[in-house]
Amino acid sequence: MASVPAKPEPANGSLIASLQVNRRIIGALLIREMLTRYGRHNIGFLWLFVEPMLFTLGVTVLWTATKSVHGSDLPIVAFALTGYSSVLLWRNMPGRCVGALWANLSLIYHRNIKVLDVYLARLLLEFGGATISFATLALAFTALGILELPEDFLKVAGGWMLLAWFGAALAVFLGALSHQSEVVDKLWHPTSYLLFPLSGAAFLVDALPRVAQEAVLYFPMVHGVELVREGWFGSLARAHYSIAYLTSFNLILTAIALMMVRWTANRVVPE
Amino acid sequence: MIHVRDLHKSYATRFGRNVVLEGIDFDLAMGERLGILGRNGAGKSTMIRLVSGAEKPTSGMIERSMSVSWPLAFGGAFQPQLTGIDNIRFITSIYDQDFEKNLAFVEDFAELGPYLREPVRTYSSGMRARLAFAISMIIEFDCFLIDEIGAVGDARFHDRCNYELFDVRSDRAMMIISHDAGYVREHCNRWAILHDGRLSQFDDFEVAYSTYKELIGVDMHTQPVAVNYSNRARMVDSSQHAALTDERFRVHVQQGDWARDESDWKRAAAEYSKALALYPYQRSYWTQLGHVEKVLGNFANAEIAYRTAVALGEPMADVEVHAGFVVEQQGDSIDGLPLRAPTARASAWQPPSKPDFDALNWLLRAGAECEPEDMLDQVRQHETLDALAAAMVLDAGNPLAPPPDNHALFERAKCLVGGSPGEASSADQLLPTGAFADWPQTRAAIQARQLENRIN
Repeated sequence: MASVPAKPEPANGSLIASLQVNRRIIGALLIREMLTRYGRHNIGFLWLFVEPMLFTLGVTVLWTATKSVHGSDLPIVAFALTGYSSVLLWRNMPGRCVGALWANLSLIYHRNIKVLDVYLARLLLEFGGATISFATLALAFTALGILELPEDFLKVAGGWMLLAWFGAALAVFLGALSHQSEVVDKLWHPTSYLLFPLSGAAFLVDALPRVAQEAVLYFPMVHGVELVREGWFGSLARAHYSIAYLTSFNLILTAIALMMVRWTANRVVPE
Repeated sequence: MIHVRDLHKSYATRFGRNVVLEGIDFDLAMGERLGILGRNGAGKSTMIRLVSGAEKPTSGMIERSMSVSWPLAFGGAFQPQLTGIDNIRFITSIYDQDFEKNLAFVEDFAELGPYLREPVRTYSSGMRARLAFAISMIIEFDCFLIDEIGAVGDARFHDRCNYELFDVRSDRAMMIISHDAGYVREHCNRWAILHDGRLSQFDDFEVAYSTYKELIGVDMHTQPVAVNYSNRARMVDSSQHAALTDERFRVHVQQGDWARDESDWKRAAAEYSKALALYPYQRSYWTQLGHVEKVLGNFANAEIAYRTAVALGEPMADVEVHAGFVVEQQGDSIDGLPLRAPTARASAWQPPSKPDFDALNWLLRAGAECEPEDMLDQVRQHETLDALAAAMVLDAGNPLAPPPDNHALFERAKCLVGGSPGEASSADQLLPTGAFADWPQTRAAIQARQLENRIN
C-alpha cells in the first residue's frame, strides 16, 4: 500500500501548526488555480501579468495619443501607469472572487479547505499579477526613458498595499455575498465601471474644484492612488489623502467581510 | 469514534423551510460498517455530507475523534481542466502526503496509462470513477463515507474496489449508502433506516429490510400517466426507467433475486410478479419471471412471460432459446408460433403482451377468469392487440357486461385504448368517449355488433 495515514487536522493545535496547514492549502489552491486558468499552452501562467500589462499599456497609449487633460503638469505616461495599474489592482480582485465559491463547491468536501482559502488563493494570484505588471511596465518605461523612478519608494509600496487591502476586503465581502444572491454579480459589473472615473485614476484631486475634492475623497481608493502618486512624483503631485481614513475604512470592511464569509461558510451546500 | 447527537438539518427554500433531518443520533466505532437504507430524497446524502464536515448542521453535534474521508465515489474534487496527475498532486498537497508514492499507487490501481497526463474532462465516466476511487484510497482515513459506489465501472473494477475497501481496510469504520440493498447487506454489519428525518438502527438486516419495506409502502399502486404515444416503444422505455428508480419495484426484484439465488422459485415468482404488478411494462423482469416459471414447470405461464418480454422489446436473442424450450415442453414447435417483436407504431399494432391482455380482458370481458392455457392461445394466435381486442369484442356478450371496479386496470386500459371519460373513472364511460379510435378491426367489430351505446 502506497499510503500514509491521514493526519488528523490540528483541531485544537497550535497557531503555528494551523498556519502551516493554511499555507500548504493556499499554496495547493494557488497552483491549481494557475493551472486551471492559464493551462500549459502557449505562454501559460505568464498571462497572469501579461494581460493586465496589455490593459495598462493600451490605456497609456490612448491617453498619450488623446493628450488627456488631467489637470497637472505630470508626464502623461507616469500618470496613466500609476492610475490604471491601481484600478486594475482593486477592481480585478472582486471580479475574481464574485462567484468563486460556486466554481469551487466540490472543494468544500475536503474539510481542511475553508471557504476563505478559496478567496485568498485567488486574491494572491490577482495581487501578484497586478504587482508584477505594474513593476515590469515601470522598469520598461524607465529603461525607455519615458518615466522617472519614484521619489519615495516606500510611499508607493505603502499606497499600493493599502489599495490591495481595500480590494481584497471588498472582494471577500462581495464574493461571500455573491454566494447568497446572484444580484451581486449583475450589479458589480456596472458598479465597477461607474467607480472607475471616480477612483482617482483619471484625475488628480488637486485639480478638482473644492466641492468635488471633498466629495471624491469619500471614496477610499482615491486616497490610495493619491498616496502612490505622491510617492512617485513627490511634491509635484500635490496629493490629498488620509492614511487614517483609508485604514479605518479597510478595517471595518475587513471585519464585515470576515463575518460575511463565516455566515456563508455555515450555510454552504457542496454539490 | 464518531458521535452524532440530535442532528438537525433544514434548508431555506422558496416554499418555506424544508426539514431534512429531525434529530439523528448514532455512534460509529472502528470496524463498524453502517449501511443506510432510505428512499430517494430521504436525506441520506445530506447526512453523509454533514458527517464528512463539508456541510454544517442546523443544530446538533457531530464529534469526530478519527479522520473521516470525503464521500467516496464522488469526483474527489476533480478539476476537469486539469490532468489526472495535477489532480493527484493537488490532493496530495492538501493532505500533506508523498506525491511519488501516491502517483505510483494511482497508476497501478486506476489503469489509466497515458491518460493520466490528459485533462480529466477527456475521460470516460468509467475512467473518472477509477481515478476518483484510486485517489480516495491514497489517503488512509479511519472512517470512509461511501455514497453509491456501486453505480459505476465494470466487474473487474468492482472487484478491486471491494477488495481495497472491505478486505484491506476491514478494520475501518464505514458509512454506506446504496440503492442496491444487496450491497448494503453484504458489506455492512449494522443497518439503519432514514425515514421522515429520523434514523432507526438495526443489528439484523432482515429486520431492517422488512421494516423498510413497510415504511415505503411497497404494495401501493403506481399511477400510469396517460400519454398518447404514437410509438409505443417510448412508453415502454419510460416505464423501464421509472421502474428502476422506484424503491418499491427494486425491493421486490431484489427479494426475487435473492429467492432465486436460494432456489426458492415459488417466492421468486411471487416477488417478480409483485414487482411487475407495479410496472407491468418493465420488460427485463418478464424474462426473469419466465425463467422462474420455467423451472417451476408452469410452461404456459413461462411462455406468456417470454412472449410479453419480446412483445415489449426484449432482444429476441435473449429469449428465443428459452421460449423454444417451453413451447416444446407443451408439445408444440416454435417454428409455427413465432415470437413477435414490437413495431414502431401505436398500441393497436403491437403484439399482445400479458399486461395488455389483462386490460382488454377486464374492459371487454368484465375481467372474466382466464386459464393460462387459454390466455396463451390468444396471445399466440393474434398478431396485434387490435386483432386480439376485435376477437374479444366478437366473443363478448351483448350488451357488454360492466367491468368490475379496478382502478389500476382502468388506468392501464385508458392508456392503452384511449378515450376521455373526463372526471368519471367508471369503465363503461370509456367506449362511448372515443376509446379504440385508432383500432380499425376493433372499431369494425364494435360497429358490427352495435355495441357502442349498449353497455349494460
